[in-house]
Formats: sequence, structure tokens, C-alpha cells
Amino acid sequence: MSGSRPIDLPAGVTIPEGAGGSSSWKTVRTVLQHAYIWIWLVIFVIPFLATLVYSFESPKGGYSLEAYDFVKGAFLENLVYSLELTLMAIIGNLLISIPAAYAIVRHNVPGKRLILSTLNVSLYAPAAVMGLSLLITYAYLLDFMPLTHSTWGLLAAYVVGTFPLMLLPIIVALRDMPMVYQEAAHTLGASRAQSLFRIELPLLGPGIGAGILMTFVIVFNEFLVTLFIAGPENQTAALRVYGLTRTAGFSQSTAAAAATMQLVSFVVVLVFFKLVGSRYLKGTYFA
Amino acid sequence: MKEIPVPVSLLEAEAAETSPRRLRRESFTGLGLLTPAIVIVILFSLAPLAYLVLVSFTRESTFFFNNPVYTGGNYRTIVNRYMPHVWTTIRLATLASIVNLVFGFPFAYILARKISYRELVRTLMVFPLVGPLYLAFGLYYVLLPNGPGAPILEFLGINATSLLFSEPMTIFGMALFTFPFMVMNVVAALANVDPTLEEAASTLGAESWQTFTRVVFPLSWPGILAGFLMCFGWNLGVYVVPILLGSTPQQRVLSLTLQQKAMSQFDYGLAAAMGVVLMVLAFSVTWISLRFSRGALGA
Repeated sequence: MSGSRPIDLPAGVTIPEGAGGSSSWKTVRTVLQHAYIWIWLVIFVIPFLATLVYSFESPKGGYSLEAYDFVKGAFLENLVYSLELTLMAIIGNLLISIPAAYAIVRHNVPGKRLILSTLNVSLYAPAAVMGLSLLITYAYLLDFMPLTHSTWGLLAAYVVGTFPLMLLPIIVALRDMPMVYQEAAHTLGASRAQSLFRIELPLLGPGIGAGILMTFVIVFNEFLVTLFIAGPENQTAALRVYGLTRTAGFSQSTAAAAATMQLVSFVVVLVFFKLVGSRYLKGTYFA
Repeated sequence: MKEIPVPVSLLEAEAAETSPRRLRRESFTGLGLLTPAIVIVILFSLAPLAYLVLVSFTRESTFFFNNPVYTGGNYRTIVNRYMPHVWTTIRLATLASIVNLVFGFPFAYILARKISYRELVRTLMVFPLVGPLYLAFGLYYVLLPNGPGAPILEFLGINATSLLFSEPMTIFGMALFTFPFMVMNVVAALANVDPTLEEAASTLGAESWQTFTRVVFPLSWPGILAGFLMCFGWNLGVYVVPILLGSTPQQRVLSLTLQQKAMSQFDYGLAAAMGVVLMVLAFSVTWISLRFSRGALGA
């Protein structure tokens, strides 16, 4: 606290002079602290803003929306495919994480710690390592499944890489939720399913929301694992942007595609913060 | 775990629940609920990584034909020819994490203790998190000779074109991506330090640097170290930043090299061996980091 009003001290007690520094130095320091934060805030947004401004520049001079014809045209297909994949990954993560969270918080499973750290393995493996190992696995070890160059292959990679990020906030939310609600529902004659869908899942809502948010941001923007395992037929939007930076170089249409990707991600995060707040993201990827 | 006072009747019910048979049924249901997660992890994470280790001991792409040739040659090749790549990976990750530490700690400290617009900061911090691809791409444009950054840098006496495709810029790009991880970890660590301790120190006449070295740092260093290692772990897997912002010396990183070996030269054995080296590095860093963050993930 910036001690504007001194505490009422007993008679005879004084605070040593200069303990908190002189007031003008304090003002300077406060200004510098805010300036430091703001410099970084500007640095955070500059890459995005620069990309956005460049995407509006017309090659003939002046500004135009020409580059967004590409986003509405050829890129739209990739964008829609990415959104579909992301949605499927979110559903997959939910189906896996909710039962797993219940098992970890509410049931007495032997070797819980070991299981939990094993589940996180692909979260910690570098993306290129995951990509390469899945590439060779899809092509040979699991060649009886339609995984190579397929939507299923991508989906499996995204789910295994991101469901721990869904699992953690649900575990946290489940731990915060006292057993009494469940017990009260049970005592009042609710079936297990009724209690789950009408009492527990709504209470877990914010934790589940946090998981959905993290899955969205990561899967929607994933390109490196995708680079290894996607075929020419299933190019995600993020992979297309990566490909464009390699082939088309720094063109307006590349910038427009990159800006669109960032904007979509940002709007989703913003909507989440407005709806749920950031409480359930504590100790996770975002807060 | 928080202790919640329970009425006696419930305590009796709990005593009944801890009978051995009940416990066994409990763990059985628990394992059942975990099955989907465990199956997915075995199929798409553990088996592929084990397979990667196996392939790393075969010559070139012989594994995929009928007569795999098993050899330790790929690891010898790494030791003889690709050690510079291993060191480059470690060097870039270390320097980027140091940048994160030096600039991220004051940021986190001010964020946690001094300012009230935390929501705004948190929201804008989403941009670096969206991904290194767009970050590197945006920075590339900022630094182009006719880009928006050039006049500002010129004003500061820095030649913008000399920054593009350089090591400092590569490190900055990497550090910018992991900056939020550092900040997040330090903020969490500072939450464990009671601000009244700092006030007490300052009231007792300690200078601010003394408060830092004698009070704040000793109480928060595990979190700071966890943040540093987390940034380091992420940066070990760096791929796109050196492509867009670095030149040949920075592009000698393991992720990039193994991708080229596998997908352009079809030398799967060597690529897999590089993957194993990278994996061992990343996992050991993560393991240490989780020790210090007191098991961030649910433990």
C-alpha cells in the first residue's frame, strides 16, 4: 500500500525518516513502473497490429481490402476445416477429461500420481517430436487404422496433446465443489444421471469452459504436429499460413490470413473472459 | 486438501465406505472412468514415443522395409556431426529464458503488487500466446527496411535491417512467445509472499533491493525457477522463429533439422535419434520444473 495516510501511532513512536523514500522519488518510480508495463503491452500487440496494417496495404499504394478476398475465397475452406477440427477436438477432450477428472478427484485409484504424469507426456514433448513419432506410427505401427493423412489422425494428435489442459481446470473445479450437493441430490431422490447433468456439470461449468478455451486456442493455431501428419488433402488454416510464409513469402494475402487467425482466437478469448472471467484459469495456461 | 467439518452421521457412513470391498469397487470404477484417457495416451503418445526410440536405432529408412538394419550409428552421427545443433538448441533456449527472467520478473512484480488494470494486461498477453508463427511473422514485417519499426529503431540508433535474420532477434522472438509463461509463474509465486512482509521490511528501514534479496527472492525462488525451466522447455522445441527471424547459425536447431532429415531426406533413423535427444532434454527439464512448482498439474 502506498501509505498516503500514516497509521495512528502510539505517542512517542516514530517511523524512521526516509523509510519509504522521498515522495518525489516515489512518484517517479510509480510512473516508471506503469511505463514499463505499457511498453510490454505495446510489444505484445505490435506484431499483430503490424500484420493487420500490412494486410490492408494495397500493392498499388493506398489501402484496400483486396487481400481479404483470399481469406474469403481459397483460405475459407482451410478456416472452416480448422474450426470443424477444433470443435471435434473439444468434444473429444470433454468426453475423455470429465470421467478422468471424476476418477482422479472422487475415486480411490491406485498409482494416481503416476497415471496423472503419464497422461501429460505429450503435453511436454516438443511438437516436432510428437509430429515425427506420430508420422511413423500412423504409417506403420497403426497402419490398420485410417490415420495417415486423415482427419482422424489429426484429431487423435490434437486430443492426446491438449486433453491434459482440459483435465486440469476440471480437476480444480471438481475439488472446489463440495460433496454435499451431490449427496443432497442423492438424498432427495435424484438418480446418478440427474445429479450429474442438473447439479454437477453446471457447477463445473467454468472449469469446463476454461478447458474449452485452452483447447480452442491451441488446436486452432497448431501447425507443427500438423505439418508432419497432414496430407495435401487436409490442410488446416494454421498450416496453410505457415506454408504461405514459406512459399508466398511476405504477401498481403499471407498477412490477411495471419491477422484473421489471430483475430478469431482473440475474440474467442475475449468472449470467454466476459462470460466466465479468468478465475478458473488460475495456475493454467492463461492466468 | 481443505478439511471440511462433517456431521457425525456422515463420518459413520464414511467409515462404512472404507471397508476393503467397497474400496476395491471404488478403484475399479475409477480405473473404468480413466480408461478412455489411458487408451488414447497409450495409442497416440506412449506407443509412438517408444516406436520413435526403436526407429532411432535403425539405419536411414531401412526400418520401413522388410529388413531393418539395427545400429547405434545415428547417435554416433549426432555426437560426431550434430553436436553444434544440440548446443545451438540449448544456447537459444537458455538465452531466451534469461531474457524472460530479466524482463519478466519486474513485469510480474509490478503486475502483482502495483497496478489495478490486471484484466487488460491478461487480455493483451493472449496475443503472444496465440503462437510463435504469427509473432515471428509480425516481427519480420516490423523490421523490414520499409516496415513500421525501421524509423523507431533508426531513431534509437539501431539499424533495423541488421536486426532481421540475427541471433538477438531470434532470441527476442522466442522470448516474446514464452514471456506470459514466465509472468504467470512469477505472479503465482509472489501470491505466496505476504505483502505485509515487504512492508514490514521497508518500515524497519530496509532498502528496496534489500527487501528483494532478503525477503521476496528467498520466498519466491521455487516459482521463479519453475517459470525459467518452463520457458526453457518450451523454447527447446523452437521451430518457426529461427526460420523467419534467424539465419543459418540459428536455424541449426534440433526441431528444424529433424524435420528436414525426415521429410526431405527420408533419413528416419537419424531424425528419430534427434527426436529422442530432444525428448530426453525436454522431459528432464519438465521433470525438474514440476519438482519446484510443487506439481502444478493436479498433484
